[in-house]
Amino acid sequence: MENETESIKHAPLPTEKTLRSRRNLPFQFWRFAAINFKMIKMIRRGHH
Amino acid sequence: MARVVVMGAGIAGHTAALHLKRILKKSDEVIVISPNSKYNWIPSNIWVGVGKMNKSQVTFPLAPVYKRKKITFHQALATAVHPAGDSQISSPYIEVTYTDSNKNGTSAKIEYDYLINATGPKLNFVATEGLGPDGHTVSVCTSDHAIEAAHSLKAVIAKMKAGQKQTLVIGVGHGTCTCEGAAFEYTFNVEHELRQAGVRDLAEIIYLTNEYELGDFGVGGLIFTQRGFQTTSKLWTESLFRERNIHAILGAHVEKIEAGLIHYELVDGTKGMLSFDFAMLLPPFRGVDMKAFEKDGSDISAEIFAPSGFMKVDADYSGKPYEEWLASDWPNTYQIPKFPNVFAIGIAFAPPHQISKPRKSPNGTLVAPSPPRTGMPSGIMGKVAAVNIAALIKSGNRAKVRSASMADMGAACVASAGSGLRKGSAASMTMYPVVPDYMKFPTTGRSTDDTFGEIGLAGHWIKLLLHYMFIYKAKARFGWFLIPE
Repeated sequence: MENETESIKHAPLPTEKTLRSRRNLPFQFWRFAAINFKMIKMIRRGHH
Repeated sequence: MARVVVMGAGIAGHTAALHLKRILKKSDEVIVISPNSKYNWIPSNIWVGVGKMNKSQVTFPLAPVYKRKKITFHQALATAVHPAGDSQISSPYIEVTYTDSNKNGTSAKIEYDYLINATGPKLNFVATEGLGPDGHTVSVCTSDHAIEAAHSLKAVIAKMKAGQKQTLVIGVGHGTCTCEGAAFEYTFNVEHELRQAGVRDLAEIIYLTNEYELGDFGVGGLIFTQRGFQTTSKLWTESLFRERNIHAILGAHVEKIEAGLIHYELVDGTKGMLSFDFAMLLPPFRGVDMKAFEKDGSDISAEIFAPSGFMKVDADYSGKPYEEWLASDWPNTYQIPKFPNVFAIGIAFAPPHQISKPRKSPNGTLVAPSPPRTGMPSGIMGKVAAVNIAALIKSGNRAKVRSASMADMGAACVASAGSGLRKGSAASMTMYPVVPDYMKFPTTGRSTDDTFGEIGLAGHWIKLLLHYMFIYKAKARFGWFLIPE
């Protein structure tokens, strides 16, 4: 098994800009709409 | 007139009962049997477990909803199924023991034309010594467990506020557990709460899991496209663990828990001990304690139920090696081949094999995340079982039944990583299909268009929206059936 601590230690760390974008209200409103759209598309494909 | 009995009032059973009542004729009868008086929207229990929601926000009484919808409700525990009746009762029936205050402990026999087993899991805390609320750890599997978890968390936060360092272990309490996604959510919600309380620097948080890699979630991980590259849920999850400074112990089977001490074995055979001040470890699941009997009274439980206690349906249970399984091994209609008027849906059906690769330690200990089948897949199975039963009642053997294979079904999972309308976050993920199909999608087993993941505040809003939307739907309010499962 891969050494998990090493694996986490070398994982990509989000930049300040990425962290800010994850909380930026206008950007997150846009992402809210986009993610919902993606989910609806997936639900329509897989719904029976 | 037909009578359909639904055992269980969780996501699968409740969805099936509501749809049955909507689709069937008024003269047909729908009966729900559940030992619990309340519906619990389990995905929100993690918020109860950090004190952000109370019990009444994630539960509501079932009886008024069923009364309004003209569904007969028995608060009772199903104990046995007689799918061919017996020498005295020619119709198939189930045996139940009442759990409500009026009839508590009395038994009854309820006949059926069609039966849906949606009993969910038995929380098998006893599989690991010292695990669970009766042992040394807390759980968020039920709303009452989550309340207890919140109290314990509050106590460790108070100790940190007094300057004491604390170790918090969150994860799963056995090598064969499922619902790693819930453990992941609770981990990040606790981390978020500790930051909000200003004590994060005094806490060491350790995620203890049976997953071989982070981001496995019991579905073998996800591969999705992001900014022109294929990336994995492993990389993505590891990044989040690094960002939030959470440690992980992977491929672990918890052997035993003593007060403040967890004994575990890793998949490579090494054994370890972990001290803790607070531990939330999910239990393994097994099927509920139910027996099945043939008409002559002989016990056919071993034929109807898998060794795990889950019901065997129209899947391939030949036990072929993991490397040889196919998407087509998974059930389509969830009917028992010998008794096609009996369906088992949601967690109650026995999966034909793991999705995540099972592993054994050199000591022979099984470390194998079980396939998740909660939430959206459970709801879809409930609806499809209802539609199929309605078709069978109307057209008999000529009925065209629908399939709800998890190998042709997508799932959306929003894993909360902290609550708050401005400061919350969540990992939004979708996958299609849940069970990888390497014939259809040879490279990754799943559609890279419909499989994705993203972290941000928007995910928290979606999780909150889903909370209110699905409780509205479960209460069968106006237009409830327009909300997809």
